[in-house]
Amino acid sequence: MKRIIYIFASLFFLTLSTEARQDSPSQEGKSEREASWQNWGPTAGLKSGGFIVRAGYVIGGTSPVPLPAEIRKINEFSPRGGISLGIDGYRMLSKRWGVSLGAHFFWEGFHTSADVKNYYVWLETEGEITKGYFTGTNVTNTQMWGVTLPLLVTFRVSPRWNINLGPYMSYYFKQTFTGEVYDNSDGVGYLREDTPVGNKILMTRENPTPYPDDFADHMVPLNVGIELGADWKALRHMNVFAKLDWGLTDIWSPSFEAISFRMYPIYGTIGVAYRY
Amino acid sequence: MKLTEIAALASVPFLVASCIQKEEPNTECDIEAISLHLDRPTECFFHDYDTLQAVIPADSIITFNIRSYADVGLVPVTLRLTQGASAFLTKVGGGEEPFVNGSPVDLSEEKERRFRIVSEDKMWSRTYRLTVKHDKPSEGNLSFDFEEYELDASGKYYVWKACDVFTDGMWKNGNPGFKISKSSAQPMEYPSTPVAGGGPDGSACVKLETCDTGPFGKMVNMRLASGSMFNGIFDVSNALKDARKATLMGSPFTSKPEQMRVWVRYEPGSFFQDVAANPVEGIVDEPDIYVVLYRNEDPLGAKVQIDGDDVLTNPYIIGKGRLPHNYNADGSDKLSGTPIHGLTDQWQEITIPITYSEEPDETILKNKGYSLVFSIASSWQGGFFMGAVGSKLYIDKLRLFCD
Repeated sequence: MKRIIYIFASLFFLTLSTEARQDSPSQEGKSEREASWQNWGPTAGLKSGGFIVRAGYVIGGTSPVPLPAEIRKINEFSPRGGISLGIDGYRMLSKRWGVSLGAHFFWEGFHTSADVKNYYVWLETEGEITKGYFTGTNVTNTQMWGVTLPLLVTFRVSPRWNINLGPYMSYYFKQTFTGEVYDNSDGVGYLREDTPVGNKILMTRENPTPYPDDFADHMVPLNVGIELGADWKALRHMNVFAKLDWGLTDIWSPSFEAISFRMYPIYGTIGVAYRY
Repeated sequence: MKLTEIAALASVPFLVASCIQKEEPNTECDIEAISLHLDRPTECFFHDYDTLQAVIPADSIITFNIRSYADVGLVPVTLRLTQGASAFLTKVGGGEEPFVNGSPVDLSEEKERRFRIVSEDKMWSRTYRLTVKHDKPSEGNLSFDFEEYELDASGKYYVWKACDVFTDGMWKNGNPGFKISKSSAQPMEYPSTPVAGGGPDGSACVKLETCDTGPFGKMVNMRLASGSMFNGIFDVSNALKDARKATLMGSPFTSKPEQMRVWVRYEPGSFFQDVAANPVEGIVDEPDIYVVLYRNEDPLGAKVQIDGDDVLTNPYIIGKGRLPHNYNADGSDKLSGTPIHGLTDQWQEITIPITYSEEPDETILKNKGYSLVFSIASSWQGGFFMGAVGSKLYIDKLRLFCD
C-alpha cells in the first residue's frame, strides 16, 4: 500500500516540475502554453465536455472524528475490498472552470483492532440488554457496497491538472458491520455493567464476545459528504487520479445506542481513468 | 491552489486518524486486595495467608475470621486500589479522613469500619465494610432445610442463607452469572429457585433447573446454565471468561464428614445437547451431588483454592462422596443413556458416603486446615455447557454427618 502512495506522490511531483518548466515567460513560451491548454483540454477545444471512465483502488475507514479519548491505541488497520468503478460526465464552461456529475460503484471497508478504555457500549440482542463501560481490545470489520453520486466543480489548475471539489451522496446496497471485544495484550479486558462501579465482567480472547448480528441493520443506507479530487492527464485519453470522499453524516441511525459516538466514512481512491 | 496545498489537504484525514487524545482519568474505584499486618498472624488467624484477601469486584463486604479466643486491636491495613483511586476511612465518631496505606485501624471487638474509595476522576465512589469476626466453632453435623431465602439486592434472583460455616453464611450458585446473559429473566426463571411448599413434607425446597442462557449465552458459547448450589465464592467477574474458575469452592471446616443425606427428585430434560446446542442421541442428562474435603494449604503455606475445574481431581483432596455415575476406563465421565444415579421423579432420601484416601489430621482439622465442599447441580456436565435444557433437580433437607 505504501508503495502505491509513493509512486503516486512521485508522479505528482514529477509533473509539478514539468509544468514549471512549461511556464517560461517568453512570447514563444506563451503560445506554446496556449497550445498545451488546447492539446490537453476536453476532447474538442477548451469548453466542450465528455466522459471519464474511472477504475480505482479504495482505502480508508469509518471512524469517529476526531478520535474519542476512549480510543487509546490503534493496533491494526487493514483495508477490506477497495474497488471503485465509475463514470463521470463533465463539461468545461470556460478555460479553467467546469462541472461534472458521476456515478461511482464501490466496494470498500476495513478491519481494525483498537485498545479502548471506558468505551460505552449498549448491546441489545433479542430483548436482552448488556450495557456498560468496556476496557480492552475492540475489533471492528466493516464492508460497504454501493454507489456514490458526486456533483463537482472542476478547476483546471494547469493544462494537465484538474482539481474537483463538491458534494456527493452515497447509497449503500449492502453494509456489514461485525466485531468483537476481548482482553488487550496486557490481559486487560472487562465490561463494567451499567456504570464504572457496576459488576465487572472479564472477557478474554479465548472466548471473545462478538457484536450482535444485527449491527448492520442499524446503519443508514445513505451518506452525504464532500469529495475532493485531482486528475492528472498522463496521456491524451488517460488520467491518473486521486480523490477523497469525506462523509459528513453519521453511518448509524439516530436511534442506535450501541455505539456512543458518530462515525463517518472517510475513503480515498487512487486510480486510472479513460477520458473521451 | 498550489499542489503542495492539495497534498496537505489530502493528508488531513490521516492526521486526524492518527491523533490519539490525552487519556482520561480512571473512573473505577475498587479495593482489589486488602491485607492486615500482624507480627505473628497465626496467633489470631488460622493460616498465614488469611491476612491477605483478594476482593472480588462484586463484593463490598470484607470479613476476616480470627480464632474465637483472639482479638485484634489497632492493625495496620494496606489496600490495593484501582489505579489513581484514593481511600477515605470513616471515623468512629462520624466524618471521614484520607486513609494512608499502612495506617493502623481499630478493628477490635468486631467493629465494622467503612472505607470509601473515590475514583481518580472523583466522579465515582464505592463504600466497603471491613470487619474482623471471631470464628464460631461448629459442632460438626450440618443441616440445611432451604427455608431461608430472599431476593438479592438487585431484586433479580433468589439467594439462600446457609450457616456460619459457609463463606458469607450463604449458599452460592450461578444465578449472578445467568443475570449477565439473560437480563430480562424474572426471579422464578433463574436456574436456582425456591419452591414454597414443594418439599417432601410440604415445606420449601430448592429447584435446580438447567436453563437456556438466551442469545447472549449463545454469542459467548455458553448456551445453557445448570441450576447449582455450592459453598464458597462465586466470582461473577469470571463467569464469562472462565465459568469453572468462577466457582471458588469450599469453606474451612473443623470436623471429619462421614456421610451426606439429602432428599431429592429428578426429571431429565427432553434431549441432551452438546456445547454447540446440537442434540446428542442416546444420552440422558444426569444430576450431580458431591461432597469433597481438601487440604487448603500447601507445604509452603500458600492457600490451596479448588474451583470448578479441579474440584474432583485436585491432589489436595483427601475425602470424596458423589452420586453414582458411569465412568470410562480412564476415569473420565461417561455420557450414557443409562444413568445409574437412581434418582426418580419421586421424592426419596439418598445417602452419599464419604471415602478418604488419607485420614484427616486432627490438629490440622482443628486449625481449619481442611475445606469442605458441597456441590449440587441439575446437569453434571453443566460446567462444560452440556446437558438437557429443562432438567430439574429438587433438593431438600440436606444433612451432613460427621465423625
